[in-house]
Parts: sequence; C-alpha cells; structure tokens
Amino acid sequence: MVVVTSSHDPQLLKGVLSLLLLHLLAEQESYGYEVVQRLQGAGFADVLEGTVYPALARLEREGRLASRLVASSSGPARKYYRLTGAGHVALAAGGAGWARHVAAVEAVLSRPLSATLQKGS
Amino acid sequence: MPNTVSWYDRLRVERVVWSLDQRLYDLPSRTRIAHRREVRANLLTAATEVGAGEALRRLGSVRDLAEQYRDAEFGEGPRHSWLAAALFALTTPLILNFFLSEAANAYQQAITTGTHTDGSYTWGGVTWLQSPLTFALHQGQATHVGGAYTPLTYVLLVGGTIACGRLWRALPHRRTPRPAMPAAN
Repeated sequence: MVVVTSSHDPQLLKGVLSLLLLHLLAEQESYGYEVVQRLQGAGFADVLEGTVYPALARLEREGRLASRLVASSSGPARKYYRLTGAGHVALAAGGAGWARHVAAVEAVLSRPLSATLQKGS
Repeated sequence: MPNTVSWYDRLRVERVVWSLDQRLYDLPSRTRIAHRREVRANLLTAATEVGAGEALRRLGSVRDLAEQYRDAEFGEGPRHSWLAAALFALTTPLILNFFLSEAANAYQQAITTGTHTDGSYTWGGVTWLQSPLTFALHQGQATHVGGAYTPLTYVLLVGGTIACGRLWRALPHRRTPRPAMPAAN
C-alpha cells in the first residue's frame, strides 16, 4: 500500500531525491514529467517539477544517467533518461548507505527516554 | 481527462520558458537550449494532463529552478558570472565617457564664454584616467583633441570586469570541485 503524504521534510527529501530518481529510472526509462508523476504516485505528493528536473540534469552531468530524445505525438520531443553503469554503481552504494543510515537512526530513536526524563525532572 | 492546450496556455508556457532561459545565460549555450526544450516539453505534457495553471504552479519559482540548474552545472557555492562581467564591461565605458565628456565640455565652455584670446589651451584631463586635452580657440569657436583613456583606465576596466564577474572562478583549476554523491544522495 502506498501512503500518500502531503508534506515531507524538504531537507530530508533533498538528501534522498537522487537515490529515488536513480531507483525509479533503473526500474523504467522515463522522461522528466513522467518521473515526477511516478514520484508522486509513490507518496511524494509535494515534490515539485522544478526540483526534479535540475536533479536529473545533475545526475546526467555526473554520468549517472544517459538521455535520448524521443518524438512525441502530442508535442515536442521528450528527453528520456536511463541509468548508466556508473548510475547502477551509485544506486547500489546509495541503497547500502541509506540502509546503514536508517539502521543507525532507528538504533538511536529506539532507546528508551524514561531515564533521561527522570534526570530532567 | 486530457486538457486542451490553448494558444493562451502556450503563451503562458513560453513566457515561463523564456524567463528561465534569460536566467541561464551563464550556462553553455548547448546545455541552456537543452534545458529550455526539456522544460517546455514537460510543461506542455503537464498542461495537457492537469491544465496550464497547475502545471506552471507545480514547476515552482523560475528563479529557484534556474538556480538549481546552475548548481547542477557548476556545483553549489559561489561561482563566476559572465553576465555580470559583460554588464560591467559594456556599461562602465559608457558612463565613464559621459562624465569625461561632460568635464571636457565644461572646460570648453569656460574658454569660449570667457575673455580668452584665440590660441590653444591644454587641460590635463581627469588625473590618471585620461590623457591631456588640447583645445584650439578661434573666433569664439573651440575644438579639442586628446583625452584618450590612459593605460591605467584600461587596467581598471579589465580588473573591474574580472572582479565584477568573479572570473577567476571560471579557471578550470579553480573551479569548485563537484562534491561526490553521498551515500543517500
């Protein structure tokens, strides 16, 4: 089940946006607006197009994405992005890093607070 | 249900694309044109699905979008600006010429309206900025030659252009290195 939330911490989202984009594009080659729709469908309803397009440009410049123009019957040609070899490497490293990050945060957040509260009172 | 994109909607999209394009002049022209085309194509696709107004709203601020495109190209942090450098290099001589010309005209008026005899008069010009001016007065009419920029003026113009555009940041070995993508970024 996809939980659609209307607000995410922008700083947190900024930190993981590249990783999300790499994963979405590893699943399926997409153009900018389609990537945004897929992000929104995954629960990131408040992601603006203006945030995603430069992130795609940065990943392409870093060599993690490759692009090609595909003619569209409904308007100008669309720029489709797909992962490169470096993109797959970055995705694997980013996924492992994210898992470590989540585990470390979980370990801190799961500590009981009762002892600290007693000291404070 | 797909929306029909009217000419008015296309004009709204083009206005935003043009506005973005104006803010991307520091990017290489090929990159700038590619961004412009991509944003236009995406906006028109979005407009057919959610309407032009909503598509433009979801794009966010054009200024922020341009800033993020520049960050994507050059990396985050301070960077050079060819636009600022060009603005300084083009406007400063115009302003400088205006004031130097006004100063020369003032001197010329002084010798033509006074009780000076015919002959030639030399004014040293604005110190350090221009060469001396020689005025020839003949029957109340004056002409003048000289007043060119000194080498120091050219040095100041070049230095000002570099400083205004922070052009040392454009040097390849001074370019801020692009930070490697963190594990979760």
